Amino acid sequence: MKVIKGVLEEELENSLRMKKEYEKAIKSLPQGALVKKEIRGHSYYYLMKREGLNVKFVYRGKLPKEEIKKYEEAKRFRAKYRNLLSQVKKQIAFLRKALRGKEIRSIS
Amino acid sequence: MEKRYALFLEVLRRFQAAGLLKELVLIGSWCQHFYRSYFTGMRYTPTIRTRDMDFLVPVPFRIKNKVDVEELLRDEGFVVTFSGGAGYMKLMHPDLIVEFLVPEKGKGSDRPYPLPQLSMNAQPLRFLDYLLQNTIRIEAEGLKINVPHPAAFALHKLIISARRTKEEKLLKDRKEALAVLTALVRKGDESEIRKMFEKMPAGWRKRVIDVLTETANVEIMRILK
Repeated sequence: MKVIKGVLEEELENSLRMKKEYEKAIKSLPQGALVKKEIRGHSYYYLMKREGLNVKFVYRGKLPKEEIKKYEEAKRFRAKYRNLLSQVKKQIAFLRKALRGKEIRSIS
Repeated sequence: MEKRYALFLEVLRRFQAAGLLKELVLIGSWCQHFYRSYFTGMRYTPTIRTRDMDFLVPVPFRIKNKVDVEELLRDEGFVVTFSGGAGYMKLMHPDLIVEFLVPEKGKGSDRPYPLPQLSMNAQPLRFLDYLLQNTIRIEAEGLKINVPHPAAFALHKLIISARRTKEEKLLKDRKEALAVLTALVRKGDESEIRKMFEKMPAGWRKRVIDVLTETANVEIMRILK
């Protein structure tokens, strides 16, 4: 049982570090999402972002492909990181619960 | 397929496509997964697998093309973390933690070993030279992968178990080592165990014998004497 307890403790330590890193990674992504509007055959972009309780649309006009790609990638990674962060939070809760468990404490 | 296992295979496939699997050696608890191929048709169940997926890097490390490992795994959701006071880099994912290790030379140092070819660094650790010198290549799951010879893996585990400060790590190392050694005996590979043992320096051999004496493992002791 000591082996399992040791593994769980190490995994908890790793998960806590991971949580911090995912939070940092989400923060480092460019904020907001691009919204495309077609006006008379031309594409114009707005940056949609949340400011407190409000959602703001900031006009960005015509954008180069790289800029659009950057926001699309950020959107994809934000979704991915949020999903993984939620997974890590569940792991942390599970590991803490397991380490508090009567069986592990009493046998070790 | 278990999610973690699917990710493990995906990492290996990407490493293979990037030409890294020719050079790197998969060590740690995940290499035991490939021992199942070595022990085909026999009773062998790897022990507890942690999230750590450790790769041993030969020094000097030479590859044709530079591979940005972080970029290679980024879309799977891996993020780089720096652990310990020294700043060893790890690629973390809720299901796997990829880390690189190199053999420690000379007096040893806590400083990470730079791996600009992979845009990463590696943690130097003792006794890894022995694993690098005794590898086998296993083909499984469409992969060709280098892993330590099971006998070398087990004997190395016995040595490092004696250096562990945490009791649970010591127990885990010994359990893993003895499971592999028992499977080798069942397979009739006793001569391989002896051969690997004889390749070790005298000091290391003594440590192995001390651990086996401590754990009262008569059968393995008989093979080594």
